[in-house]
Amino acid sequence: MSKRTLPRLLQTPAVLLLLVWMLVPLSITLYFSFIRYVLASLNRPEWTTPSITNWRGLGNYIFVWNNDGFWLAIYNSVFIVTSIIVLTVVLGLATAILVNRSFPGRGIVRVLLISPFFVMPAVNAVLWINMILDPVLGLQGIAVSGINEFSENMRSAPLIGWFFSLWPELTPISFRASQTSAIAVIMMVTWQWTPFAVLIFMTSLQSEDQQQKEAAILDGAGKWAMFRFLTLPHLARPMSIVVMIQAIFHLSLYAEIEIVSRGNGNKNLPYLIGEMATNNIGAASATGIFAVILANIFAIFLLRMISKSLME
Amino acid sequence: MGSIKLKNVTKSFGDTEVIPPLNLDIEEGEFVVFVGPSGCGKSTLLRLIAGLENTTSGEVIIDGEDVTEVTPSKRGLAMVFQTYALYPHMTVRKNIAFPLRMSGMDPAEIDKRVAAASTSLNLNDYLDRKPGQLSGGQRQRVAIGRAIVRDPLAFLFDEPLSNLDAALRVGMRLEISEMHKQMGTTMIYVTHDQVEAMTMADKIVVLQSGRIEQVGSPLELYNSPCNTFVAGFIGSPKMNLLSGKAAEKYNAHTIGVRPEHLSISDVKGDWEGVVGVSEHLGSDTFVHVHFDGSSEPLTVRADGDLELEYGAKVYLTPDLKKLHRFDENGRAFKL
Repeated sequence: MSKRTLPRLLQTPAVLLLLVWMLVPLSITLYFSFIRYVLASLNRPEWTTPSITNWRGLGNYIFVWNNDGFWLAIYNSVFIVTSIIVLTVVLGLATAILVNRSFPGRGIVRVLLISPFFVMPAVNAVLWINMILDPVLGLQGIAVSGINEFSENMRSAPLIGWFFSLWPELTPISFRASQTSAIAVIMMVTWQWTPFAVLIFMTSLQSEDQQQKEAAILDGAGKWAMFRFLTLPHLARPMSIVVMIQAIFHLSLYAEIEIVSRGNGNKNLPYLIGEMATNNIGAASATGIFAVILANIFAIFLLRMISKSLME
Repeated sequence: MGSIKLKNVTKSFGDTEVIPPLNLDIEEGEFVVFVGPSGCGKSTLLRLIAGLENTTSGEVIIDGEDVTEVTPSKRGLAMVFQTYALYPHMTVRKNIAFPLRMSGMDPAEIDKRVAAASTSLNLNDYLDRKPGQLSGGQRQRVAIGRAIVRDPLAFLFDEPLSNLDAALRVGMRLEISEMHKQMGTTMIYVTHDQVEAMTMADKIVVLQSGRIEQVGSPLELYNSPCNTFVAGFIGSPKMNLLSGKAAEKYNAHTIGVRPEHLSISDVKGDWEGVVGVSEHLGSDTFVHVHFDGSSEPLTVRADGDLELEYGAKVYLTPDLKKLHRFDENGRAFKL
């Protein structure tokens, strides 16, 4: 046995396990995407068992490609994920910089900041859609009706009443409607994931080299220039981590979409796959392969963009 | 231009006073070295001059102007840091250009100045590399380049060579001295290494726990140290300091003899001792001699080809003309 054989032999089980773990589901999905496979069919009972004799070629892919719902789902996936990433990075960066300063009670504030991350996605969605965003019973409804009532009462007041009569009556927004349901999802996931970004940015800010900053002070850099030329490039790598991990997680958003509006107006790829999988496994698998391709494009594109723009 | 004056400057961190009231004049064009053991406040002093730390009281005056309240970038000083503090995401070119870019200089003029600086520092081949791809010595050059382009009133060096290996250190030492001779700009250089201080300085400031112990040219400090601290700190190997009976014979509380001012003989002499370790450097031999009158072995600088056996009996004789006498407070006095 040469020197390398034994280590390789010892690695083999782990490598094999990982390969099987990854390759088996992927190959099954690929296989299903090329055959006709449905869960229930009265006319064609032979399609209910997966078999190579039901070969459909690219038929499933063409079926999905020509489906209007598919393109809407891709649009929603990209819209929701991009918005969440942009918002969490901006908010996370701002919060991390604020919290990085020392102030009394910093420890407690930091713990509280992280806490949204511990809430289950489904619970998060229920809380937001019912208690905060509900147009009647949620905070939104209460706030809107409160403001309306206030301006209503003030209209009869002397001297300043005319000013309040200029106010329009506000109508609460229904976040379960198809125009707004995606925005509701974006809000709740942003709330939940900003702490993740804060956590990563904060640790990274603490590792910033202080002498570099002092050198920059002597070089005449102002606060903004130091942020732009030292802190932001320093954060480029953690930023790409935040973006990549979030892209992976949010491309598979499901619970929030189910709870907010059952896919009405915010149906993304995983939700579409879920709907298809109630019967047409072949089409669902084809959509799944499209989703894998989309995820790869997304990750590569975003990472390139970040490293190029920040690293100079 | 570039004279710097410290007037009754003090610095405290909380309740601890790091620098008690301190006065210092630095003439235009001088190469001044702050030297002292670690924790003596030399770096703090440099940072006070740079403006990176605020003085607790007192004034910092540059070219006759009180700059105590002036922001660091407006003081017209450039600093080279121990860790180089290069901007890791920028190329060498951008690093050097950064201070000029911050001052809003015309890009054509920036290019010209960067080219001039990089030529004088032999950095032309590395302009498009990032600091991470450079060796320690090259990084140091970039840091110096970033300081030169600004054309500052004075350069501040904070232990710039301590991260380099011994051979490079000697080379860079020469280069910095050469740079000073050519440009004639005031330079303040902080180090804990007395060899750097002796070889580079026009004027050495020896510091201990925030106090200035002595200010003078290298040879002044070497030939007439004003107290035992300076005597022990300046010179390599260290001056031999003896107190007690051996010193009383010479009418002093403590006497100091430099290793080169002791003659060694195996026949007769003033002090009888036993040879310890001999260090052969080729040009010189440093012989450590154990002697009853001193708790530590005495160091003697002898000829390079002197061979002495470990444990042999020898006699040492100090050169009376070069003997330093100190009183009970450690201050030097002459008979």
